[in-house]
Amino acid sequence: MTGVTVRFGSLTALENVDFEARPGHIHALVGENGAGKTTLMRVLFGSQRADSGEVTVDGAHVKSRRAAIGMVSQHYSVIPQLKNLQNLMVGAEPGAVLDRKRDRARAEGIARAMGFSFDWDAPSSSLSPAGAQKLEILKLLWRESQVMILDEPTAMLSPADSEELYTSLKRLAEEGRTAIVVTHRIREVLDHCERVTVLRGGKRVATLPVAETDEANLARLIIGHDLRERGSATAEPGPPILMIERLTVLGDRGHRAVDDASLVVRKGEVVGIAGVDGSGQRELFQALIGTRSATGSVRFGGIDWLNLTTAKRLASGLRLVPEDRHAEAVIEDWSLFENAALGLHRDPPFAHGHWIDTQGRARQAGVIADAFKTRYGSLAQPMKSLSGGNQQRFVAGRGLTTQPKLIAAFQPTRGLDIDGSAKIYQAIRHECRQGAVALVVGFDLDELLVECDRVVAMCQGRIFEAPGGLERDRDAIGRLMVGVG
Amino acid sequence: MKGLGWKEAALVIGAAALVWLMLTSIGVVPSEAIAGLVRGSVGGPAAWRQTLREMTPLLIAGLAVAVALRAGLFNIGADGQLLVGAAAAAVVALAVPGPVGVVLACAAAAAAGGLWAFPAGWIKVARGGHEVISTIMLNNIAVFLTLWLVRGPIKDPSVQTWTTPSLPTGTGIPSLVEAGVFRLNWALPLAILAAVAFGVWLQRTVGGFELRAVGANLTAAKVAGVDVDRIRIRAMVASGALAGLAGAVLVLAFEKRFYSNFSPGYGFDALGVALLAGNSAWGLLPSAFLFAALSAGTTSVQILGVPKGLSTVLLGLIIIVFAVLRYREACRDG
Repeated sequence: MTGVTVRFGSLTALENVDFEARPGHIHALVGENGAGKTTLMRVLFGSQRADSGEVTVDGAHVKSRRAAIGMVSQHYSVIPQLKNLQNLMVGAEPGAVLDRKRDRARAEGIARAMGFSFDWDAPSSSLSPAGAQKLEILKLLWRESQVMILDEPTAMLSPADSEELYTSLKRLAEEGRTAIVVTHRIREVLDHCERVTVLRGGKRVATLPVAETDEANLARLIIGHDLRERGSATAEPGPPILMIERLTVLGDRGHRAVDDASLVVRKGEVVGIAGVDGSGQRELFQALIGTRSATGSVRFGGIDWLNLTTAKRLASGLRLVPEDRHAEAVIEDWSLFENAALGLHRDPPFAHGHWIDTQGRARQAGVIADAFKTRYGSLAQPMKSLSGGNQQRFVAGRGLTTQPKLIAAFQPTRGLDIDGSAKIYQAIRHECRQGAVALVVGFDLDELLVECDRVVAMCQGRIFEAPGGLERDRDAIGRLMVGVG
Repeated sequence: MKGLGWKEAALVIGAAALVWLMLTSIGVVPSEAIAGLVRGSVGGPAAWRQTLREMTPLLIAGLAVAVALRAGLFNIGADGQLLVGAAAAAVVALAVPGPVGVVLACAAAAAAGGLWAFPAGWIKVARGGHEVISTIMLNNIAVFLTLWLVRGPIKDPSVQTWTTPSLPTGTGIPSLVEAGVFRLNWALPLAILAAVAFGVWLQRTVGGFELRAVGANLTAAKVAGVDVDRIRIRAMVASGALAGLAGAVLVLAFEKRFYSNFSPGYGFDALGVALLAGNSAWGLLPSAFLFAALSAGTTSVQILGVPKGLSTVLLGLIIIVFAVLRYREACRDG
């Protein structure tokens, strides 16, 4: 791939990126969230159009790449209602009429060559994450793919299963195929891959043989060097007010998404939570909100937080900038008036007893919209008529102008320009100086280091704090994020 | 309304052509049939009486479906809830005559309808079972339960047909207007009042806000601290209670008894009423009126020699056309 550029509107996802992988190798592609890894692989696979650039496989320009290139995305495409054999073939059936005997024999052959064994007639819903991952790899072999792209293949696997996965990838590479692995885990790159490409901010930073690099070097390449100027001085922290102790939260797949995590936040602090996506930040927030059950203990201002309903937590001063704006933060068909009230709709100024206080609501909606300069025509217009960035301004305004005590903000500046981002962090710090506390999840370590009083790292469901003196050391926190002590 | 696009125009013309073809194929002059339709629904006091009579249960049952719909639940079971409500109302009104009996009968009907809807709400919340399936099942149970009742325990022993005895005079919903052949009782104004009250409740109260939030975006409602499970169960029960009331009104205001095959499908027409009304509680009024007028009109068209099946087809076509025009805007936005 040479000179690949992809733009999404005004955002440049990839800028003039060169990438080459050789047969017989496991090639790692690493970088922070939003660095463009997945986009680059989609261009290679052919599911994303590049604005410019060329892709060649085996020296030939390929139009129907799908024959030669297979991709396993982060979210498995195994259909649970089908049997394993059906899942293996789906989309690449050998003919209009299926010959069960012949297909089974071929499936067996492919699986045995890889050292896997499958019950082909079992429903795929019974597969473990590791089993589903294996089936995905066999799907690529069934299609006779020469280049295999695996996006975060070990994200859902245990360490032992990960080892096994790399063993099979090595075997495939030895047969002359090419495996490209997108990963966050530096350890895996160093242990299993031959070459590594680092992307940062949509640009290629480096491509080098793994033998010529080490952990520290890779972490530095991934995170970059340019540290921005900090907006304001560190707060004088007060007494501990939010105490998270041994919190464990099960994720959707029943795994320990938050695993025995502990964190103490002092009054007035803005704490940034760094970490690669999917390290348990989502589930941690859901547990704090009360939409996912958790074990362990959370105390806020002396209250047993986990025993409160979500409504009580909101009444106690919990204010959110949720992660998924469309699904969690707004009701798109509703007006800005009504969205202003969402979550705080039971209490003044939004309600008066059982009745909605339309005047109070209108006043507060105006305050919310103006806080971060939401651009709107009328407060009566539906939320969906606003652009994503303006919706984000409105949601942040709702959380930060309504007497917050505990601010839980998930990527609060997503989709905003530098100025808008700075204003939101200013408001968070302002509220915290008045006695609130804030937890801010971000995927941009630089931003967190600049804007927060303290940054902790989340990795595989645990919260890690850098040792004394290194609380704001980017290299130290960067290593914690990828699980390298 | 904006101007019609060519697709909408084509649909209207196509539907009209289909109706014309069907009518001429059985030897009916289309213009006469249309005139008959209008005459039968709004052409004179007798026609108005029939239309407003039809509108009463359709409006109440439509309101019932709308309550659940706003919470994101599809109550296909309104017909079953209406049946158990009607049977309960007949039993109570026969036991306790007079105005007190009427009040008790309404309460019993609401309780029976609510009880009939509760399992669907509970299954949805506790086990994730789809309410469409459970309410359809409950419909069948209601049909056969009430059939058994009216063939046995509550049957009028003095007649051959499967029916309860008639309510004594003075046990029923009183008349509001009696002028010549025109009749209107208190049920319809009360139903209109209920629809208006529901509209106000939805827009102006915290409870209405939460119900709409649950229906519009379940996850956002949860994050906003709304107890979505409780609201969904309550909405389902309230929906059932209203459908039960529609049954009570049929017994107390019009039929004066309960008999086998009691509902000609009011509960299913109510789905159409609620869907055509769209997102507005006020919309239930014109929507119920349209269904009622078409129903009354097609009955009279049958006299011209149009078979009942065809008049149902006619009704269906007209509703499809209205629905397309009604949802045109929504589709363009989405």
